[in-house]
Amino acid sequence: MADHGAGPRSIANPEIDISDLCAFPSPERAGNLVMIMNVCPFRPSSATLFSDAIDYRIRLRPVRVASTGRQASFAVGETERTFSFTFDVPRTQGGGRRAQSGVCHTPSGEVGVTVGTEDGAHSNGLRVFAGCRLDTFFVDQLFSGGIRMNRRLPKPTAINSTAGQNVMSLVVETDSKALFGTGAGPLVGIIAETTTRGSYRARQDRVGRPEIKNFIMMDKASDAVNRDLDVRDLYSEEDGFKLRPDYLGAYRARLNGSMAFYDGLDGKTDWPLDEQGDHPLTELLLADFLVVDVSKPFAEVSYFEIESALLRGVPHQTCGGRWLNDDIVDTVFTLLINNGNGPRISDGVDHTTAPASRTFPYLQPPNPNPPPLPTLVGIPR
Amino acid sequence: MGTEFRTTHGTIALINLDDQIESLELQAAQGRLTSRWWAELVDRLTLRGQVRSRIADYERAAGIAEAIACDASADGMAFLTRARMRAWLHRFEEALTDLDAAERLGLAGDAESERAAIFQAVGRYDEAMALRRAVVARRADFETLWAVAALHAERGEIDAAEHWFGESRRRFRGVSPFGLAHLDFQRGHMWQEQGDLGRAREWLMAAWVRLPAYARAEGHLAEVEATLGEREAAIGRLARLASTSDDPDYATQLARILYQDGRLEEATVWRARAEVRYDELMARHPAAFADHSAEFWLTVGGDPHRALALARQNAAVRQTPRAAALLSRAALACASGPAA
Repeated sequence: MADHGAGPRSIANPEIDISDLCAFPSPERAGNLVMIMNVCPFRPSSATLFSDAIDYRIRLRPVRVASTGRQASFAVGETERTFSFTFDVPRTQGGGRRAQSGVCHTPSGEVGVTVGTEDGAHSNGLRVFAGCRLDTFFVDQLFSGGIRMNRRLPKPTAINSTAGQNVMSLVVETDSKALFGTGAGPLVGIIAETTTRGSYRARQDRVGRPEIKNFIMMDKASDAVNRDLDVRDLYSEEDGFKLRPDYLGAYRARLNGSMAFYDGLDGKTDWPLDEQGDHPLTELLLADFLVVDVSKPFAEVSYFEIESALLRGVPHQTCGGRWLNDDIVDTVFTLLINNGNGPRISDGVDHTTAPASRTFPYLQPPNPNPPPLPTLVGIPR
Repeated sequence: MGTEFRTTHGTIALINLDDQIESLELQAAQGRLTSRWWAELVDRLTLRGQVRSRIADYERAAGIAEAIACDASADGMAFLTRARMRAWLHRFEEALTDLDAAERLGLAGDAESERAAIFQAVGRYDEAMALRRAVVARRADFETLWAVAALHAERGEIDAAEHWFGESRRRFRGVSPFGLAHLDFQRGHMWQEQGDLGRAREWLMAAWVRLPAYARAEGHLAEVEATLGEREAAIGRLARLASTSDDPDYATQLARILYQDGRLEEATVWRARAEVRYDELMARHPAAFADHSAEFWLTVGGDPHRALALARQNAAVRQTPRAAALLSRAALACASGPAA
């Protein structure tokens, strides 16, 4: 699951749980950047409301390539742009219908939005949407969880574990040139966060790339340092653009051990560790944000292409980021298990039954009768 | 004190809770729920029952819990869920048997917390404390420290309870209003029991402000206000609660205050409503409502002998100071004639 229930706090508090972050150049309007943040997985219907106690934030910073090859990394700029959604207590309208209003606070002003309005709100070149939508993520969780549980590659069931589930979605579309000015480079780093509102502010959840916490950080079995600690809640409290030094060692140990385990699943080593035992992807993935090249056109398949090019020391070809229908599960497993030096590792689920649309707000309407969540495996209680 | 954490507004939280229950009930009606999601439905119904004082929600939850434990004999979660509901029904021995089964089926940690709650409910405080401390040693968080605080409060160890209530609050993370409101309610109830009505009001008000639909918090707030002489405010609250809740406790409290104020005609109406409802509940769940029913007959019900029989029934399954005090009051009332 992309970031669904990625840690005890998110499982206990679904309203703070960011299940997904996607960012891509608009397929509808060249020059626009679209960012989508999904929260509250598995529970909502079109009657569900956003919390008025949470600031739902999408943060952007300019990034540039700092180094390539085995030491591939991005340098993160200090300038930041934030798109932040806050919501009110709902009002009862005529006929007893409830309406919840919200505001998207943007670098160029505020845009009001009513939850569930199909075409969202438009203002000053911005488009925003807030409401319940169909979860576009797809994964065979019996396959992904089965890997952790059985310590080998199981046969895929090819059943999408999130089929028909709903999420609460927040969509922002903005002119990408207006973000950091004309002098800025084309690469943008993007993070989604839920933080508390009011005088006591705390980051509750945070997502950059998909499956960092669930595929990689959840697995304690290969960790050489902490075998009884779920590090995901700590990790989610961090500023994804600048991790504190306090727990870096714990995160590194978890990523090194877990990714070495995945690398060994096909019986060969595609990611040799260095003399300190560090996996070549560890530092790159700890810079945990989506990277989009806003100068490139929309692409259907582009997740992690910029980072992969960096590792190979060649120019990237696509916009990177992440489009809703991109099969990132296969991309992540192939990357971790054979680094492309073998067949594509597939969980057998290549798309949803209702793929995302190429027009705003891109996500499909909610399922009025979602199924119960199927049995999940390899999830610690 | 009670408002430094911003939590989701009670209206939103309850709308979303209603929505989750509706969605799970729809799936249940279509025969699509697995035992895990039946257990989730039981949890959601119990939470709503707790907030709104809706006995119908508890009854629905108890019915589901019985059914899933019968259908899923190898599922520890099903036994754990039934144990919780049997404890609510004061069927403590059967609940403990279910916890043994849950433990055998791999849910030792969860069963330990539930066992502590049952020991606390029946007055086996030392055993409850040993289990609570063991849980805290493994995981000291909002919930586990709150449980320790509530146990100290129950034992009348006020300084310790205050300390652990504070420690628990300090560890609160998240935005759901339910946990904090319940904690503040228990803290207020503790001070009410101690006779410190100022502090009681402070915490009960904090719970009610955070979660305005929290019937139990408002009911106790009304009792405190009535004792402090704010009779009309208390009557207003209780009249609203007695009209909307299916728990006869509010009608009982309202009738009591109205009798005291000489508003006999109104008091009689509410007393009659409470009596009918207690008769219904005692017919269905005698163990669960013996204590509250005894309280009714001991006060506005005006039948101390009936109260004594119920207090005995209650004391037979719960050896708590509160059960003993109820029994003692009922015996005294019988000795001195009918109460008014």
